[in-house]
Amino acid sequence: MKRLITFPYRNKNLPPFSCEFGGRRPRVIDLPLIAWLTVIWVMLWSSLNWANVLTGVVVAVAVCLAFPLPQVDLGLRLHPWGILRLVTYLLYDMYTSGVKVTRQIFADRPHRAAVIAVPLRCRSDLMLTATAVAVSNVPGGSIVEVRRATATVFVHVLDADRPAELDAARRSVWRMEELTVRAFGTRDEIDRVAGPPPPAPHTGERPGDQEEGA
Amino acid sequence: MSSWLQIVDTAGAVLLLIGAAICLLGVIGMLRLPDVLSRSHAATKPQSLGMLLVLAGVALRLRSGMDLATLALIGFFQLMTGPVAAHLVARSAYRTGQIDHGELLFDELDEQLTEES
Repeated sequence: MKRLITFPYRNKNLPPFSCEFGGRRPRVIDLPLIAWLTVIWVMLWSSLNWANVLTGVVVAVAVCLAFPLPQVDLGLRLHPWGILRLVTYLLYDMYTSGVKVTRQIFADRPHRAAVIAVPLRCRSDLMLTATAVAVSNVPGGSIVEVRRATATVFVHVLDADRPAELDAARRSVWRMEELTVRAFGTRDEIDRVAGPPPPAPHTGERPGDQEEGA
Repeated sequence: MSSWLQIVDTAGAVLLLIGAAICLLGVIGMLRLPDVLSRSHAATKPQSLGMLLVLAGVALRLRSGMDLATLALIGFFQLMTGPVAAHLVARSAYRTGQIDHGELLFDELDEQLTEES
């Protein structure tokens, strides 16, 4: 007889923190995802009681069964000290970038913008995404395109007249990457980020070339 | 005790006002800046800062646990989804040729795209 729900301690093939719903087409659902959706449901109802928690679990399981997500290896670790540093830097950067954009809005002379390529050191999808989201908040960063194969982000920079501005933009992207990976990354990624940043591509040279062996 | 409450209320009102003013700055930027990519700067950064300040102001005036959780949820999702929306606008504008390449000082993405095709 087939069980309706199988937990990982019965079936070692399942990934950790997940259970399998039996049936003709078994579905694997993530328990942390269920918990997170339930927390959101309770927050949206603004009151914590058993009815809310139970309906939240039911709705979360139904959503996960109805819209299955592709299985990805998240590689997500939580480092509390790193998260604190990331949040502090983000808030500070948000303030400075707000001031900077405001100054550019009211500047009389027309500024020249540019799109620069910044090669990153991390390789996992999640870190790439998290870095891109974080970079969108730093001064003079607006992501135009992300290339996954070479882990390169393309950033639109306001006020690109001075080379110093471009250097500052690149350095802030790399700093954001390091902070993000130190907050959420695996040990492997942290080691990679601790190294020096990859050489900035010059015009006409492809940034992926030096990285082919890595 | 009530004087403390008054101070917190006033601080909340001030934060609300500053946040709304910063959002207004973003709108002015969208009117003044020349092209899509520059406007997306103005549309995202002052907005998210202003919205966080408005949320903080509302939190100072509400002061109850579950409402604070809802406000935190609003801030979290706004910060996660705003950059994605801005990126999609920028990307589709770029790919459909809405960008005036003469305006850009230089463009390292264009070089890579033309190399590929």
